[in-house]
Amino acid sequence: MKVLMFTWEFPPLISGGLGMACYGMVKALLNLGIKIDLVLPTREMVYFPLREVSDVDTLPVVFIDKGEQSKFEKLRFSNDSERLEYIGISDSPESYIQLTSVQRYSISLKKEYWLSERMSGEERDVWREMTNHLVGDEDLIHKVQEFTLRAEKIAKLLEFDLIHAHDWLCYPAGMLARKISTKPLVVHIHATEFDRAGGPGDERVHKIEHAGMTYADKVIAVSQYTAQMIMSRYRIDTAKIRIVHNAFTVPEDAVFSKERIFKGPVILFLGRITLQKGPDYFLEMAQKVLASHPDARFIMAGTGDMSRKILRSSASLKLKNRFLFTGFLNRKQVERILRASDIYVLPSVSEPFGISPLEAMAYGITSVISKQSGVAEVVNHAFKIDFWEVDLWVDTINHLIENPEKNIKMGIDGMHEVNKIQWDEAAIKIRQLYSATLAEYIRRQE
Amino acid sequence: MLNIIFYFQVHQPYRLRHYNVLDIGQGTPMFDDKLNSEVMKKVAQKCYLPTNALLLKLIKEHEGRFKVAFSITGTAIEQFKLYSPETLDSFKALVDTGCVEILGETYYHSLAFMYDSNEFLDQVHMHRDLMMKEFSYHTETFRNTELIYQDRLSDLIFEIEGFKTILTEGVDRILQWRSPLYSYKNYSKRINLLLKYYQLADDIAFRFSNRDWPEYPLTVNKFVSWIDKLTLNETKGRNQFLNLFMDYETFGEHQWAESGIFDFMRHFPGEVLKNDHLGFAHPKDATSLSNYQQESISFPEAVSWADEERDLSAWLENDMQRNAIETLYELLEKIKAKGDEKLLPLARMLSTSDHFYYMCSKYFQDGDVHKYFSPYDSPDQAYIYFINALAEMEEKLLR
Repeated sequence: MKVLMFTWEFPPLISGGLGMACYGMVKALLNLGIKIDLVLPTREMVYFPLREVSDVDTLPVVFIDKGEQSKFEKLRFSNDSERLEYIGISDSPESYIQLTSVQRYSISLKKEYWLSERMSGEERDVWREMTNHLVGDEDLIHKVQEFTLRAEKIAKLLEFDLIHAHDWLCYPAGMLARKISTKPLVVHIHATEFDRAGGPGDERVHKIEHAGMTYADKVIAVSQYTAQMIMSRYRIDTAKIRIVHNAFTVPEDAVFSKERIFKGPVILFLGRITLQKGPDYFLEMAQKVLASHPDARFIMAGTGDMSRKILRSSASLKLKNRFLFTGFLNRKQVERILRASDIYVLPSVSEPFGISPLEAMAYGITSVISKQSGVAEVVNHAFKIDFWEVDLWVDTINHLIENPEKNIKMGIDGMHEVNKIQWDEAAIKIRQLYSATLAEYIRRQE
Repeated sequence: MLNIIFYFQVHQPYRLRHYNVLDIGQGTPMFDDKLNSEVMKKVAQKCYLPTNALLLKLIKEHEGRFKVAFSITGTAIEQFKLYSPETLDSFKALVDTGCVEILGETYYHSLAFMYDSNEFLDQVHMHRDLMMKEFSYHTETFRNTELIYQDRLSDLIFEIEGFKTILTEGVDRILQWRSPLYSYKNYSKRINLLLKYYQLADDIAFRFSNRDWPEYPLTVNKFVSWIDKLTLNETKGRNQFLNLFMDYETFGEHQWAESGIFDFMRHFPGEVLKNDHLGFAHPKDATSLSNYQQESISFPEAVSWADEERDLSAWLENDMQRNAIETLYELLEKIKAKGDEKLLPLARMLSTSDHFYYMCSKYFQDGDVHKYFSPYDSPDQAYIYFINALAEMEEKLLR
């Protein structure tokens, strides 16, 4: 079985949980013998033919353009990262794509596919929903347009059995690939606009999400929480939805031993500093906990649109040097901050899954997580609290600080539990879903 | 007689590295030695060495009639020794002419006066000792960081250290109908005050190379004629003081050599001294030259020479600045209580006012000036690194 997969993030091109999830999932799928042609928003027009498990780390590259490919083959790179740099991959996913031809793109979409006679009225509505909303002057929209254009070339060039697209940025690409190839499309919901925005969000994104899920043959939700959201907010046919929880695989070079930076207890927030993740609740907790435990330190690791607001508020609350900001951290730095932490908190307002608590638990750190999260469905050895119950979060953190032996035990139990949540299990579910989808597709063809 | 009093501020801070949480406890140096060395060497080449050479030449040419005053911070002296010893030698040569007055200030160019009187006096004393050690000079005149002044400061400076004169800004809202061209007494009539004549001082310091300024280009003749006009109002034979206070880095650094600032300075003293009723004086001369009953003037609120507001808002306006400085002075107290002699100078290096200036978030045109002087991308970054450095120091104290 060969899958054409579109995703916006894949290590080293990574900014959040999506990249980590795709990495673990793809690795486990390869292990099951499934072949994957991976397409990423790289600067150069390339795809990654992944066949062996080890390919997830080396990322073999093929240029779509034959001339570019032969040029590339003549080049010698001293290491993988140099090679990946050549095709335009570095640490930050937002910096790759240059807008080529937006106009050409939308014309081609409309003329060639949307207006084609083979399209049913219902199908046309979905296309219209997608194309009409894939407009705007924001860099991101331009990038999605460019990415979708690339999908057209790839879908014509490659042979595959099935298409798998992760999150709305890749839905237009997935839809186009399905239209061209007529192969079935699986869309994977890691987060919806409602989660990301912590409110209604951008209308265009809703429409694209709705179009993608409607056009898809199957929809994978990362949790029951997300499945519920898809049903209630997007009115997607329940029969199409499958739940596959994310997992966490510890990197092989991981070091777990504690290495303290601070003498006092350290409480960690790790993730994008954005409304969805509840950074303002973290600040409120810090203020209240510090009132009774002035030797604690609260560390806010990550960046985001609310960084400045939280920073300024922490100063105005006079939290001294007890509330610290790390800025963006790479994977090794994340490990160092985890090794230095005692309690991990995830006060998300809406979290479809939330891999980062699993990572924290793998490092033996007690996790306190929002009930409004998918990850709460898969772990038992963690505290689960409604995000708005700030005093309960505060009591919990205080309790853990005051009972360090309990905190350690909870951390160890959590570590054992997380070690059992493996991607292999999730990959088996995905394979079953692929097979069922293909079987339906073949039946439909006959 | 109108006495022109030139005072030049010489200061370089120890800039902090982009100091991250993960640097804490790793033994990574807190200060950016590379940047500090680069800046010192650059400013020495562009400003200190050529301007010192020019002043030395002018002093010799005019045989004692051209005088200037310097205030040189402890952190500048330390960094001269580290990165540009020839600069320190050239200052010593200037002081040796006898035509240079050295002023007293806080060793670390700090805002200690606003937060901790004992620390303030310690730093003033340290600076006095340093001036004696480096230049064999006993300071008699005081200027606080950024000309920050209020009544309370004069008491401390007079009673504890016995300074005779203090320099500060000629702030309109304090002076009102009074002229900054006369010397005054402080509110308790015990110490002299000399007030910066900011219009003319800033013509040199800020506007000299500004092509949008209607008076551009500023020629020596034009400037001396403006000065000459100031003497017309004085009909009773009282000595006037034209206080031109500015950053020394004005010469060659803020105003580039190409702007003609050095030529201006080369010809200015000669042009002034063609007039019998114009001359140069040191700040300490004000005591003997004040041939009239000096009016007492009160500064209930703190003033400074910074920005349009001429208050403390450049350093102590927003929440980041306040949280940072309060945390620092708490830490200083803890370090002193523990008697940690290793950490004390490091914490004091963090007391330098520049660190708080970098955190300034005023969005008016002054914000641009702040940005020009900051080694960081934003006030927020400056705050983050500073707070991380304070966390590092605190952990060190616990270790």
